[in-house]
Amino acid sequence: MKKKLIAILLSGTMVALTACGGGNADGSSTPDAGSSTGDSQEAAEDSGDAGEAAESSGDAAATGELVDGKFAETRHITVEVYDRGNDGGSDPTNNMYTEYIKKGMLEDHNVEVEFVKVPRWTEVEEINNLLAAGTAPDICVSYSYPTVLTYAEMGGILDLSGYVEDYKSELTNLWDWLGETNIYWDKDPVDGTIWAIEGKIAVNNRINTFVRKDWLDTLGLSAPTTTEEFEEMLIAFEENKDTLLGADADKLIPYSVSYDVGWRAATLIESFIDPDISDKEMYVNGYDDRKLTQNGTKEAVRLLNKWYNQGLLWDNFALYGSGDTTEDDMMKAGYVGAFSHNWDYPFRNGEDSINVNLQRNVGEDACYIAIDPFDDSKGTHTKYVSSTAGDRKIFFPHTNDEPLACMLYLDWISDPEHIQYLQIGDEGVTHNVLEGGAIQTVAATGDAIMNSGMNIDYTITCNGLHFADEELTKLSQAYNYAGIDPDIVAEADKIAQTDAVPAKNVNVGAIEAEANIGDTLSAKRDQVYDNAVIASEADFDSVWDSMLADYLNSGGQAIMDERAAKWQETFGDTDMLP
Amino acid sequence: MTKVKTSKPAVAKKDSTRSYLKRYWQLYLLLSLPLLYLLVFKYIPMVYIQIAFKKYSIIQNVWEMPWAKNHGFEYFIQAFGSNDFRRALRNTVVLNLMDLVIGFPAPIIFALILNELCFKRFKKVVQTVAYMPHFLSWVIIYSLALQLFAPGEGLVNMAIERLGGSSIPFLNDAAHWVGTYIGVGVWQNFGWGSIVYLAAIAGINSELYEAASVDGAGRFRKMWNITLPGIKPTIVVLLIMNLGNILGSNFDRPFAFQNNLVMNVADVISTYVYRTGIKGLQFSLTTAVGLFQSVVGVLFLLMANWLSRKLGERGIW
Repeated sequence: MKKKLIAILLSGTMVALTACGGGNADGSSTPDAGSSTGDSQEAAEDSGDAGEAAESSGDAAATGELVDGKFAETRHITVEVYDRGNDGGSDPTNNMYTEYIKKGMLEDHNVEVEFVKVPRWTEVEEINNLLAAGTAPDICVSYSYPTVLTYAEMGGILDLSGYVEDYKSELTNLWDWLGETNIYWDKDPVDGTIWAIEGKIAVNNRINTFVRKDWLDTLGLSAPTTTEEFEEMLIAFEENKDTLLGADADKLIPYSVSYDVGWRAATLIESFIDPDISDKEMYVNGYDDRKLTQNGTKEAVRLLNKWYNQGLLWDNFALYGSGDTTEDDMMKAGYVGAFSHNWDYPFRNGEDSINVNLQRNVGEDACYIAIDPFDDSKGTHTKYVSSTAGDRKIFFPHTNDEPLACMLYLDWISDPEHIQYLQIGDEGVTHNVLEGGAIQTVAATGDAIMNSGMNIDYTITCNGLHFADEELTKLSQAYNYAGIDPDIVAEADKIAQTDAVPAKNVNVGAIEAEANIGDTLSAKRDQVYDNAVIASEADFDSVWDSMLADYLNSGGQAIMDERAAKWQETFGDTDMLP
Repeated sequence: MTKVKTSKPAVAKKDSTRSYLKRYWQLYLLLSLPLLYLLVFKYIPMVYIQIAFKKYSIIQNVWEMPWAKNHGFEYFIQAFGSNDFRRALRNTVVLNLMDLVIGFPAPIIFALILNELCFKRFKKVVQTVAYMPHFLSWVIIYSLALQLFAPGEGLVNMAIERLGGSSIPFLNDAAHWVGTYIGVGVWQNFGWGSIVYLAAIAGINSELYEAASVDGAGRFRKMWNITLPGIKPTIVVLLIMNLGNILGSNFDRPFAFQNNLVMNVADVISTYVYRTGIKGLQFSLTTAVGLFQSVVGVLFLLMANWLSRKLGERGIW
């Protein structure tokens, strides 16, 4: 009898526990009424209706539900935000900046905004899963257009062409800021669909090369202006490592790259491309944004390979993956002589920036300055930079049942006033106003810390300093990095713009071979670069050729062929864009 | 269970089932929850196997998705036509076979050695230390390996260089990488794996050893003729389970260890599926690959089981 009782009790408890577990999963979303899960599930069920609504949005009455730009009933939308997981950062979904946005949207449009965080370094996987589960945020961003195209092919995202036109009168900030260029950038020339709107790059600087100024001074060298001088400088660093680092001489790395060689040696690679390259060639060979398949890249990598074999590169570069801080830590500790990276890389992150750390760890004189060492065949220093587009692509998943509210959000976030506040925060907390009126960013503490430089993760339509007053923007550019000498920033800015060639928009419609490729080709690209750099000099050609062949066989060649064919179809025999 | 049943007093036949249930229903009630778990988390998801034969779409219900071309086998054809998949398949088999050949005997040998130790306390300490690595995640083990084996800055390589040797590319050369991968795998697992064997050894009748001693058998004789035959059934069962896993691959170990320089030997099916399917959104293709992997796994299991019965062992069913 006792046994029986215990059995019933035990199994009863288990059932109850299981039920609780299930209940919790649902329950977690209920407290904040209609959170993402709840909403999008509903949306998934009546996705058919959403489709119809999208089609009928052509009516002029589409914005009729707005009174003075406000909804009569409160709407609820979810917005993707990157979670960078930085030390000492705040919760990206809940801090003083998100409060500012939420409050503003509620007041101006009666729209409740909820942020959904997505890890920065695995964003593509995360969005894939959210889309597949029907729980993606209403406003998604991605840096990868092929990924967006893959979603579009499956019918997973909304066509924005109707919304941008029909709601135009309500979207003045968006149109003013992005303009036709960025809004129509990805418009299909045949059927007119717009799957994503391109965020705008306010400052289109891309890659700079940095060098330790104090090392140049110690060795009596001047900043190199040719590739040859750069090589001599690296050799000088290596030969004088005892002078430069003393007891730590073994740790010296003359030139540092990461596993992402195509990014981290971009200006070197670009200097080997023919400066007179035709638009057609640039486009046909240009699927890979690390220029793997451009003519000339092989010779650039051959040079890197030579440096690697001479011991001038970091020998472990390929062992650390994306997001790893080992290399940054070595820079901060003062072991790295030169490197190439984002044009303002050592200045980013205020108190935690590379330059500020370097001064703390090594001494007042220690700092990285930008140089312009890689000369091309014409003696210029060509750098292929982005145009105004090429930053983040904003798209709405099919589960989005508040397209108008979301468009209003994009408009709100493109208002120069709002961008300015998000970029510089409050006076005395995150910035000071200098005598000439320039705005100087200062290192913030606590809740005011920005998780991303200039809050770029919130200003999804804008990358780079942009105030309502253009003059003020220019004036403040160099003061935008807390703890960094403005002259150094100004010089880096100047170098990044020297011989810069902005990308052109070649829009020949969707390239089918590019969809469904996703991340696989870029992973292969990194393998080609990494293996070629570490090959022995004798093996270099065979390693490069065989690995590149594998890249081309895995879809690279198909993309180039289709691009060439589409170019021919659209532009005929000409090699240059009209 | 069966023992209980047979010991029951014989009653009228038609009542037997009923009275049996009446007597043991509590046990079945307890069993129902694990069965429910299996149903919900293992069997219902199998509905989605059909994705392998259909053109996947993120917006459609799995029943609505259209069938793939070539009578639904398009993705299998695509997989076997792909260099990356064939490479991953080869690597999976090679790495698992090497794991089996080197990693499988290791815990048996360790258990045998441990069994021969006379100092009880020392034996316990060694045992505990040996199975500690089992509790470390592969990410942590890889970080350790990186600190130890990285060229240039790794501890081991620094020692080698100080001693006048040249640095060994443990992690960035294909052949060395395989060695490191297998070696670290053995290190992580041999202590934990030996527990089962030690338990089996403990179950051997000690009279056998005494009798053997009387007959003049030495240490190795006893090991060979008593201990090993005593744990043979255990070895066979574990071998079968390992063989069933020959195409299966755990994800975290290869994923943590691989880098761009060794992908040629390090990319296995699980990491291929992750990269192509989850990162590249090709769920159909990778479901096909996963299905293939499972089917081959089951075949291996059946084969090994059949073989063990042939050899006179019990097998696992």
